[in-house]
Amino acid sequence: MELLDNLALGFATALTFQHLLYALFGALVGTLIGVLPGLGPGATLAMLLPFTYVLEPTPALIMLAGIYYGAQYGGSTTAILVNLPGESSSVVTCLDGYQMARRGRAGAALALAALGSFFAGTVGTLAVAGLAGPMVQLAFKFGPAEYFSLMVLGLIGAVVLASGSLLKAIGMIVLGLLFGLVGTDVNSGVVRFGFGIPQLTDGIGFVALAMGTFGVAEIIGNLEKKDEHREVFTDKVGSLMPTRDEFARAVPAALRGTLLGAVLGVLPGGGALLASFASYTLEKKISRTPERFGRGAPEGVVGPESANNAGAQTSFIPMLTLGIPPNAVMALMIGAMTIHNIQPGPTVMTSNPALFWGLIASMWIGNLMLVILNLPLIGIWVKLLRVPYRLLFPAIVLFCVIGAYSVNNDAFEVKMVALFGLLGYVFFKLGCEPAPLILGFVLGPMMEENLRRAMLLSRGDPTVLVTRPLSLSLLVLAVALVLLVAVPAFKKTRTEAFQEEP
Amino acid sequence: MRICSEKDFWSGLMFMAFGLFFAIGAQNYAFGNAQRMGPAYFPALLGSLLTLVGLAIVAKGLTSKIRDDVDKFHWRPLLLVLGSVLLFAFALKPLGLVLSMVVLVFVCARGGPEYETKEVAILTAALLVLVLAVFIWGLDLAVPVWPALLLG
Repeated sequence: MELLDNLALGFATALTFQHLLYALFGALVGTLIGVLPGLGPGATLAMLLPFTYVLEPTPALIMLAGIYYGAQYGGSTTAILVNLPGESSSVVTCLDGYQMARRGRAGAALALAALGSFFAGTVGTLAVAGLAGPMVQLAFKFGPAEYFSLMVLGLIGAVVLASGSLLKAIGMIVLGLLFGLVGTDVNSGVVRFGFGIPQLTDGIGFVALAMGTFGVAEIIGNLEKKDEHREVFTDKVGSLMPTRDEFARAVPAALRGTLLGAVLGVLPGGGALLASFASYTLEKKISRTPERFGRGAPEGVVGPESANNAGAQTSFIPMLTLGIPPNAVMALMIGAMTIHNIQPGPTVMTSNPALFWGLIASMWIGNLMLVILNLPLIGIWVKLLRVPYRLLFPAIVLFCVIGAYSVNNDAFEVKMVALFGLLGYVFFKLGCEPAPLILGFVLGPMMEENLRRAMLLSRGDPTVLVTRPLSLSLLVLAVALVLLVAVPAFKKTRTEAFQEEP
Repeated sequence: MRICSEKDFWSGLMFMAFGLFFAIGAQNYAFGNAQRMGPAYFPALLGSLLTLVGLAIVAKGLTSKIRDDVDKFHWRPLLLVLGSVLLFAFALKPLGLVLSMVVLVFVCARGGPEYETKEVAILTAALLVLVLAVFIWGLDLAVPVWPALLLG
């Protein structure tokens, strides 16, 4: 059993004291930041990325993965207790989670969410471990033309499955691709769009772009919102024990959510966000008592929470095996790998088996730690929710700034954070989401390189993209996705799916 | 013509500006041909595409039936938060980490809805201890801690 051998190697790597410590530390810090309202996994990862520079690649990635799950768990806690979604994927958790909290069942909601997520995480990790091998085999059949087509499909998928305006999302992707091209062109050695600034020869800093558009811009946006009065259920979390009825409703919801999330997570542009929305819609649709939804139905908490965690896990599959990020968070992970000099792609599994399987094993360990940590420590996170935002945001800005500086020990990166903060604020005002921008930014250089290679091999004949069967089927899928959006019925569902507001 | 969806209109213009910038800027580099793409090929392609996408969004903004105005900019948090980041960037080398942090926290905190000097002073002190412990003693970050003048 090759899979078992691989998993054994993974656990042997992940269970060393040092790696356990980094997984624990990542999960803790991720939760700590993720609990803070208004900071989702994207912003949390961008902020904490520089902390991992000093580490070896394996512990660094293990810690980043821990930060990611931690941030996601933390976001759910905030959603349930304060009705403030830390990220878009916990928007749906707010609906019924907060209502449960209002009825004095906050503890049960938190416990069910955590257990559902853990179950989903376990299944998700197994899916990653099982599918990684076949996917890598498939990936080795890919030539540059296939990679290019796959990235087109990925980007189109990200647009179709994302919320908000389609055209704007396309614009943001293309802009991201262009930002990714700034710097030295690997083929000719020419510095493109460098404005004679020496630091730009290495391209735009990934950390500065992510921190500016996700972190700083988000903070400025939060500051101008009026201080709405929100009831915070920090005193009466109540018993963590769900009642028998709640439990009976939660189990099937967790199963359905896990399955749905695991499938949707692999899709480009999918992952946690889409999974949680889809699960909520599903639970409501098949429930015999849909009127209970929005009034504290445990299925409405557990389903989406399981789905988003399963999706969070399986979105690692395309990232780890193909080197192609399906969403912005995975784009950040790719950025982290590149910073550690690991070229993401199918070769990681063979050239770096300990890192590859260790990361997968640590996903499960990280999930387990979060359940063990979060339920008993809930009191601490609750206290953190009481820290007023006026004290939090200068601290967050400070950590962003120091983190950006530490990338190259250069204040230039800090200035770039300010520039992208401004740009991110403009995006925010114009209703343009930054996630596709980050995705495009990471894919830009890869797309150019693969297109170049494909065209070189075909002697400049662009039909190579449609004459190779694998490449053609990927492009056909992409076209099908576009056509799907044009179908009015789907358009309606798409709009509705993302507007599950009470 | 009356602008119906301001958000669409202005974001379209923004995309067009970026698209034109990259498409025209690419003219400075070798274009190459389809078989051997020069450094200008892909950016010119994408820049033109972005310009077209921008144009489509502008058109949509002008014809949209749904009014969607751009909310007004809140200059105070914008300028103070971004200003504090820039001040930090420029102050770091001459003034060192400690003073730059003080500047950042005080200016940044002003961007919030409430501000109380005493509270911010305590916050600054706590953050100083934390940052020095984590970044200087813990991670050994290569950064001047104290003003360059003091060290001569």
